[in-house]
Amino acid sequence: MAYHTPLYLALFFPAILLGYQLAPRKYRWAVLLAGSFGFYYLVCGRLVLYLAGTTVLVHYLGIWIELLRQKSRMEGEREQERNWKKQGKKILILGIIILLAILVSRKYYNFLGQNLNALLEALGLLPYFPPKDLLLPLGISFYTLMAIGYLADVYWGRIRAEGHMGYLALYLAYFPQIMEGPVCRYSDVAAQFRRGGDLTGENLAAGGIRIFWGLFKKIVIADRLNVLVGELFAPESSYGGVFILAAAAAYTAQLYMEFSGCMDLVLGSSRMLGIVLPENFRQPFAARTVTEFWQRWHITLGVWLKTYIFYPASVSFPAKKWNCFGKQRLAPYWTRLGTAAIALFPVWLVNGLWHGPRWSYIFYGMYYFVLIILGIAIEPMRLKLLKALGLKEDAWYYRCMQRCKMWVIILTGELFFRAEGLAQGLKMYVRMFENFEFSPLWDGSLLNLGLGKGDFCIVFLGCLAVAAVGHGRERGILSYAGLQRLWQPFRWALYYGLILSVILFGAYGEGYQIVDLIYAGF
Amino acid sequence: MDTLLEILRGIDCDIDFENEKGLITDRLLDSFGLIMLVGELETHFDIRIEASEMMPENFDSAEDIYRMILRLGGNS
Repeated sequence: MAYHTPLYLALFFPAILLGYQLAPRKYRWAVLLAGSFGFYYLVCGRLVLYLAGTTVLVHYLGIWIELLRQKSRMEGEREQERNWKKQGKKILILGIIILLAILVSRKYYNFLGQNLNALLEALGLLPYFPPKDLLLPLGISFYTLMAIGYLADVYWGRIRAEGHMGYLALYLAYFPQIMEGPVCRYSDVAAQFRRGGDLTGENLAAGGIRIFWGLFKKIVIADRLNVLVGELFAPESSYGGVFILAAAAAYTAQLYMEFSGCMDLVLGSSRMLGIVLPENFRQPFAARTVTEFWQRWHITLGVWLKTYIFYPASVSFPAKKWNCFGKQRLAPYWTRLGTAAIALFPVWLVNGLWHGPRWSYIFYGMYYFVLIILGIAIEPMRLKLLKALGLKEDAWYYRCMQRCKMWVIILTGELFFRAEGLAQGLKMYVRMFENFEFSPLWDGSLLNLGLGKGDFCIVFLGCLAVAAVGHGRERGILSYAGLQRLWQPFRWALYYGLILSVILFGAYGEGYQIVDLIYAGF
Repeated sequence: MDTLLEILRGIDCDIDFENEKGLITDRLLDSFGLIMLVGELETHFDIRIEASEMMPENFDSAEDIYRMILRLGGNS
């Protein structure tokens, strides 16, 4: 029951809305919790026990850390404070190990086993890890990150441990976000869950429009592109040259439309309930640097990695040792570069691994790690070059150049990300440069890949519309409040146009297959 | 405070540290500038900055940073 299916949109979600409004204010969280666990059970059956177990574990460990802190505060001694920090840290580490063990045992067992078996065979030993048919609990990668973040925040004293297990359970299981995020922090949503406010016309309207906008991106554009992407990335396919470039561009567009469209469905659903979740995308293709791209793409994952991995790594023992060494023996340039590498390596390794148990995902993480480090390394030279050539960073032509560079970087990364394994990714990348000609783009060759002229027109116009809306949103023109300021007939024409385009141009029915949410697989 | 301002100017001389109130939230100081700043603060004020202190509230302005230094027992 994904968010774009009729079952969710026409039956499940309206029932939750109704139940939420009819319930007494103080029990509305319970309606959401029952709905969330019901949603989970409908999708995953008995695997809901993993989610329930994680909730109990995290609740218990959080309270344990909190009690230790309170005890040390009452006793007040500095020594006591130090002791609680040590004990609290042990509990935090225990929690992280258990949560990661569950995640690894379900998601990475076969990957690790396969690689260890290969290693054993290389050493002349017999394989030891038989492959297992493991089912992955829905959203385990998302709720594990949220659970770890919650425990770390309690340990760091940024939030108090939640005493009410129901609210914590709702935080981890909240049905709009369980499949694809956003990766929330407890402080983002706790007060909103407790408030249990009435449904309002404004929230229903704003959320409803957002849901239709998400459906437009998902069903009209992403699902249509899926036909093209499936054909070009098929393991047996032998396309080369500009077809590979088209494959990378089509997949990048599909992934963005799909993931950001799903986020519109998620944020829209939640907004209708009066609960505002953090945004996950902000015009990523307008980024001028790699770092900026990751501040605009999957924002909440980036914030999580920065808060719980980058900062702790940057004040870790190796980073501090390197800093000291660098100050005494090296130029600031090398010290800065080394510190950045120490802090960024675990971030990008986790980013790659988090997406799934494949070498191509690890490559994807390392690809961005190398690019960011390269960016820091050449920054002084870049500034000198700009000065020497008299170029201005904010000049339109320079911004254009930077964006073109970013598009090349993004398309290359997504090519490897989507390929069926690292080997296929490398093969496709090499084939792109063989017999490269632009003519297949207009000689009709692209029309043999499953999409007709009309489909290409719809995709092109749809992408233009998404870019225009994103541009408008960035400038605050096309936010819900901004829409309200438009001339009423024009505004309603936009709403009807959106709804009709989903119904008329959606890629469903004969000739199309239902496409699962991509990020739900992560 | 003067030492702190001197350190901050050493990290990025283009930022008006005396008046800026959103060094992190307005993304004036990037993550790499921040980790370099942490190293400098630890050396100059003889403090230990842990991961729990790495939040915008502690680094958004020179005053915020100064308050954190005092709270951590720095030699001001």
